[in-house]
Amino acid sequence: MRYFDWRGWLRQGLRLWRTSLLTRTIATTLILSAVAVTIIGAYIAISVGNNLFDSRRDQLLAQANRATATVQNAFNNLTTGQGSTVNIEDATSTAYTDVLQSSASTANSQIAILRTPGQSGPRIPIDLSTFSSTKSLISKALRKEVAESTTSRVYWQSIGIPTATGRQPAIVIGSSVILPKSGQYELYLIYNLSDSEQTLNFVQSTLVFGGLALILLIGAVTWVVVRLVVGPVRVAAETAQKLAAGELEQRIPERGDDVIATLARSFNGMADSLQRQIVQLATLSQVQQRFVSDVSHELRTPLTTIRLAGDVLYDQRDAFPPATARTAELLRTQVQRFEILLADLLEMSRYDAGAVEVDTEPTNLVRLVEDAVESVASLAETKGSQLRVIAPGGYFEAEVEARRIRRILQNLLANAIDHGEGKPIIVYVDSDETAVALAVRDFGVGMTPAAMERVFDRFWRADPSRQRTTGGTGLGLAISLEDAALHGGWLEVWSAPNEGSCFRLTLPRKVGGVLRSSPLELPPDGTDDSDE
Amino acid sequence: MNARILVVDDDTALAEMIGIVLRTEGFEPVFCADGAAAVDAFHSSNPDLVLLDLMLPGMDGIEVCARIREESGTPIIMLTAKGDTADVVKGLESGADDYVVKPFNPKELVARIRTRLRPSSHTSTDLLTVGDLELDVAGHEVRRGDEKINLTPLEFELLLALAVKPQQVFTREMLLEQVWGYHYKADTRLVNVHVQRLRAKVEHDPDNPRIVMTVRGVGYRAGASA
Repeated sequence: MRYFDWRGWLRQGLRLWRTSLLTRTIATTLILSAVAVTIIGAYIAISVGNNLFDSRRDQLLAQANRATATVQNAFNNLTTGQGSTVNIEDATSTAYTDVLQSSASTANSQIAILRTPGQSGPRIPIDLSTFSSTKSLISKALRKEVAESTTSRVYWQSIGIPTATGRQPAIVIGSSVILPKSGQYELYLIYNLSDSEQTLNFVQSTLVFGGLALILLIGAVTWVVVRLVVGPVRVAAETAQKLAAGELEQRIPERGDDVIATLARSFNGMADSLQRQIVQLATLSQVQQRFVSDVSHELRTPLTTIRLAGDVLYDQRDAFPPATARTAELLRTQVQRFEILLADLLEMSRYDAGAVEVDTEPTNLVRLVEDAVESVASLAETKGSQLRVIAPGGYFEAEVEARRIRRILQNLLANAIDHGEGKPIIVYVDSDETAVALAVRDFGVGMTPAAMERVFDRFWRADPSRQRTTGGTGLGLAISLEDAALHGGWLEVWSAPNEGSCFRLTLPRKVGGVLRSSPLELPPDGTDDSDE
Repeated sequence: MNARILVVDDDTALAEMIGIVLRTEGFEPVFCADGAAAVDAFHSSNPDLVLLDLMLPGMDGIEVCARIREESGTPIIMLTAKGDTADVVKGLESGADDYVVKPFNPKELVARIRTRLRPSSHTSTDLLTVGDLELDVAGHEVRRGDEKINLTPLEFELLLALAVKPQQVFTREMLLEQVWGYHYKADTRLVNVHVQRLRAKVEHDPDNPRIVMTVRGVGYRAGASA
């Protein structure tokens, strides 16, 4: 579970990084300023530490020099007086006390006066030390250096004094003093540097806190600045979205004369122009729709009269002389044709005006296909074509407008019968999770590639000399294409001369669905035949 | 006596042609070319059926339809242009029994007229009950207790069709065939609109119907007899 949580967080973070300019800018600023502050802070900490140590060391060395001088003086004074053992002991103690007192300003200083080993003569005085673990605190190397020194210079070494809580930094400074008649002694002063370390720690922690505060401050400042810049951009983006969604009145407030204000002004200018054009187009579309509706009514009334008249004449044609009777027949059929043509034209102009809405209902496509096939069966029979339906799928209901799909199908079937040369016609239906498809396949004359390109054009006919038996208007496929597009579907054609044609209609199963592929091949191969 | 039919249409050629068709079929047409005069013409001619164009000068067909329906249950058939779907629904809601889409052919028109003029008799029973309603089949009357409910002939036919077979659920298609005489798939809005109008008259609470019950996804059936 931890693992997935981690992944989730990472994904969320990445998403935020991708989507939010604010986040990205602030994160970048924070990271870069953190790196910079760390480098600067580290440099300051190191140099402060070094300086602190160096100055303290120099101060201590000076102090040690004075202490050495004090001790040497004490010893020298002794030489001028009586050189008794007791006096030497006393002198040493005095010197020891003097040094301790002179070092009082430096807290926690400790002192040791040690006799340099390997000397002849009386071992007087004995070693004096204010600290117990003399041997471990003063390294052999330092002792050796001090012992071998002949001048009065001092030697130093950084050490750590073990305490209950750890080691405290300290410096041990050694020098040699000569006790006349007795030999060389070594004076060691240990100064505890923990107060200096405390100062250093304080400086370092101040640096850390200061650095963190600085980073946060930079982050906050960046946030404010980015908000200032991104805010108007965001407003522009939101306004653009609202505009796109059709809220044409949306504008960006224009303030000041800066670049943001220029952006706002240009944006508003664009929105004004868009709004004008859209309103103009909408008006045109309304005018067009109104016109279509008016034409529809104005044409239909006389057409109804003509049709009634034609039908009345047609019903009485038996009483007419042959020529008049034939005239009545022609009148009737041509009025019917005119009626269909008018209906198609009106449908087409409704599409052109964008005044068409799809009115879907759950539809069983296989049943729809079977009904349509049944309705043209007799016509197919007169042309000698055998109609078959192969439906491996498509039994689940799809959200389509049955009337339009039926119209497409009737149109495709009529074309197939017209151009099918009396050969079989197969209707395929299939579906997958997202789409339903039907294909009408004929094995007739087929089309050349050039003809295929024009097949959906209005009033285009594959072969003008060809006699239409199904009374098509030349608008059928153009309307079918619009019907398919209205559903968000595809109407595609495959054809080869003398091999026949195949029209495939693919529709999303749900309203608003997006098609990626069709459940049917184009043209469907005949292997499904055996499944029947 | 021949049935008298009032043809309300401002297109004189079409009106005359319809007149010719109607006369051939043995009806007696009366004409009116103006919406404003249509209601007066209705009063003076007292027709058995009205053919009403929806687009009229003076007063539009929907208004005329509503005025006639206020005072009479005389069958009204609208003449509409295809595509005026909103107008069709408005016309039906204002009381038209049926509609014919232009351009229509004479047989279609005559068939529609005949269905409306000769309501079929479903039953030999004289008296039926639905819920707390009594249907006097012979007298074409519906009563709730002593109170008479005025239904148009179509509404009566619709209620009767349901009441004769109280056990049966009627699909909209069955009702279209039985009440409107459509033998092919027609506009189910006819049924929906008229069921609403019928409920408004016979139900105590039209939103919670007890007489004409909806069977979800199928159609309608009569409520249980009280």
